[in-house]
Amino acid sequence: MAFNILIADDSETMRAAIKKVVTMSGVPVGEFYEAGNGKEALAVLENAWVDVILSDINMPEMNGIELLGEIKKNRVHANLPVIFITTESSEARVEEAKKIGAAGYIKKPFLPETIKKILCEVLEKAYEQRLSEEMGGGRQGEADEDMDF
Amino acid sequence: MDVELKKKLYRTLSEVFETMFFTILEPLEEPPVPEEASGEDHFEAVIGYRGDREGTFRFYFPEQLARYITFNFLGLEPDEVTERQLLDTVKETANMAVGSLLGKLDPEGRCQLGIPESRRAVFPPPWLAAHPGAAAFNSEQGILWLVYEAN
Repeated sequence: MAFNILIADDSETMRAAIKKVVTMSGVPVGEFYEAGNGKEALAVLENAWVDVILSDINMPEMNGIELLGEIKKNRVHANLPVIFITTESSEARVEEAKKIGAAGYIKKPFLPETIKKILCEVLEKAYEQRLSEEMGGGRQGEADEDMDF
Repeated sequence: MDVELKKKLYRTLSEVFETMFFTILEPLEEPPVPEEASGEDHFEAVIGYRGDREGTFRFYFPEQLARYITFNFLGLEPDEVTERQLLDTVKETANMAVGSLLGKLDPEGRCQLGIPESRRAVFPPPWLAAHPGAAAFNSEQGILWLVYEAN
């Protein structure tokens, strides 16, 4: 099974670097989607199936915290995992992110192994979540019917 | 620059440069005269923070260093690097360094990072040598200058 990953970061270079690290990590990726801020990320979600979002916090227009808030308010996407990859490294900011439902938190600068470890943990949980949703309704209406492990 | 701040800054910069770009930095206790690098192309990256305390950091990257960290970061060949990628990488470096430093200086998160900016710049700015918040770090690709200003 391959996972679709949305990378939200206002730095095109950082998006490319994260994409490179994820690709090298061996995580099976179907499609990479990219967004320059939270608004663009929400627009991607309107049109594509995404399994996990890797998002910066400090972005113009709509930041990562606001993006997560919008996702949590949306019944269809409420369980979509969001991992923050960010320079916002104070303990207070990490706690705030956890409180509002972030699935993971990676501080920049990051080691490739850190991204791989957290991404794998989150995707494993997401897969189990998806299986349970498919049993009882939820995001399955948008799911890729060809996905199988 | 305050000695403690300079030590923390050096540790943070080293972490960013070694982890992300495989580049070693070394603090220069007696920085050279900035005018020695006059005429060399440089990139300036600026980032501020606000909250309980406010301040601005300015980074001056020699082009050779900017190019080296960019192709390392993106896994490209040196001649594949574009101007836009250079500007974006120095901006992101400033963002990572100051964000990481702020996390250490302000664990309660009372200060918030601004959005970084970058551009090609004339080097050195005339005030650099005499600026009390200036610090210099050596690398194999040239000297990285950094200026801190509390607002």
